[in-house]
Amino acid sequence: MGRGLCWRVWAHRHFYVFISPFFLLFAVFGLYPLLFSFYLSFTQWDGLTEMTWVGLGNFRNLVHDELFLASLWNTLVIGVLYIPPMFLGAFVFALALNTGWLKLRGIFRAAFFMPCVTPMVVVAIVFSLIYSEDSGLLNYALGKVGEIFPPLRIEPIAWLTSDRWFKPAVALLLVWRWTGYNMVLMLAGLQGISTEYYEAARIDGAGVFQRMWHITLPLMRPVFVFCAIMSLIGTVYMFDEIFVMTQGGLGGPGVSGINFGLYLFNTSFADFKFGYASSMAYTLSFFVFLASLLILRLRKSET
Amino acid sequence: MGGWKRYGMRLLAHVPMAGLGGLFVFPFYWLFISAFKDRDQIFKLPPEFLPDPWILENFARVFRETHVIGAFVNSVVIAGGHVAFALFLCSLAGYAFAKFPRAPGRDKLFAFVLATMMIPGAVLLIPVFAVLCKLHAVNTYWAMIVPGAASAFGIFWMRQYASENVHNDLLDAARIDGCSEFQIYWRVVVPILKPALAALGIVLVIGIWNNLMWAFIVLRTESMYTLPLVIYLLQGEQRIPFELIMAGSVVATLPLLVAFLAFQKNFIEGITAGSIKG
Repeated sequence: MGRGLCWRVWAHRHFYVFISPFFLLFAVFGLYPLLFSFYLSFTQWDGLTEMTWVGLGNFRNLVHDELFLASLWNTLVIGVLYIPPMFLGAFVFALALNTGWLKLRGIFRAAFFMPCVTPMVVVAIVFSLIYSEDSGLLNYALGKVGEIFPPLRIEPIAWLTSDRWFKPAVALLLVWRWTGYNMVLMLAGLQGISTEYYEAARIDGAGVFQRMWHITLPLMRPVFVFCAIMSLIGTVYMFDEIFVMTQGGLGGPGVSGINFGLYLFNTSFADFKFGYASSMAYTLSFFVFLASLLILRLRKSET
Repeated sequence: MGGWKRYGMRLLAHVPMAGLGGLFVFPFYWLFISAFKDRDQIFKLPPEFLPDPWILENFARVFRETHVIGAFVNSVVIAGGHVAFALFLCSLAGYAFAKFPRAPGRDKLFAFVLATMMIPGAVLLIPVFAVLCKLHAVNTYWAMIVPGAASAFGIFWMRQYASENVHNDLLDAARIDGCSEFQIYWRVVVPILKPALAALGIVLVIGIWNNLMWAFIVLRTESMYTLPLVIYLLQGEQRIPFELIMAGSVVATLPLLVAFLAFQKNFIEGITAGSIKG
């Protein structure tokens, strides 16, 4: 009919009006900040005085910044400590909740998921109480165990104030907090697997483990990949937990507890090194992006 | 032959599940009973698994001596405003993307929306704060309500739901009846989208109600603080008033917890629907 583009746009003007709020907000709170912070990463700026261009100086400093490197290391260690047990626990719980014979499934599901609707600040404070060295419940329980089995007797552990135990303490909290979330996702994945596969396998004489290996695990792959990426992002940018448990300090005993999220926050809003913080955020986001792509490739490869 | 054995195994499997379930609930139990102890009872050894005596005045004191009531109001206003605004924005755009297939550039614009999901929040902290400063919005509700509301994930979700559940003949009938396009959205589409809006709303509420970091950055005076912020800052006082922190924590935790226990199914559906599709 040869009507021009302008006419077609005008005919669909409501479409553009309806999507415009998103684009307006995105321009102000997404696109402009994205570009601004990219620019900032090549400058020195405290938000008040003049910005100075430093080229790649910020990025060069990052490599020698011991606190930055320590924060990356701590982030990695915490991730390695909590993600595997969380995944395993979530998967086992999901499998159990997916069976027909487990009683009280609704109650179990609620119990495991409850931590996910709780403010992190509350979680961190309650765990701090439980972890308290002199009067915490955990050391008390461990002491009781030592009384009953003398070979297991140990000194009270300084969970939050010693180099050695801060990260395991945080990891335990994270397992508690996030297992239910991953469980719910995995359960949805399991429920999405058609029972026909299992029936066919059973007719072919496949045992429990064969069914797990050849049906459940391959079909759950997309869910695992999703959970893995969420955990990666959550770990790298984790903030509240560490911030509260160290009471806004440098992150635990010395520098052994500071993670990337807390260091980024401190650099930005305690030290007001906006340029340096931007370069840090960009650098890490780049690596998180690469790692996410790597994990996503797992989704496609065949078994 | 294996029937009894299998039955026994299944029965036995309930024991570790119950034990682990108990461990997961335990911190909540500890939180709630600690809110009824005085400071010495909280740190007493051996620990009191039931407060002796029960201290009820912690709650009266936390309302009187701290800003918990004001913070509760702030939290409700911010959560309500943020969720309402985000739901409006996402459903409007999601509906448009689903139901105007011939609009020029629709697919490219939608691809753009999806691409924005990959932007990491960490690089936005400082510049968004700077923008809010420029707009004189620091220390206002707007600073909490608006910046995160343009959720690409929400638009994606609403588009999905609208294309499956909103039928074109319904829209055409409304057009013939002389409804304006916005009336169609408001009177016809929104009621159909309700279940999806509820699910998305739940996800958004969990995020904003529990938010600490952004509140810490943009809220500057006591009269503006939210519940997580008030609770966090109580820790900074001399001789930390743990009994008040615990009572305040109960106030901050209960609304979502009760809502979750009452609408468990909706919560779980919300979390999974959003994630698996996204």
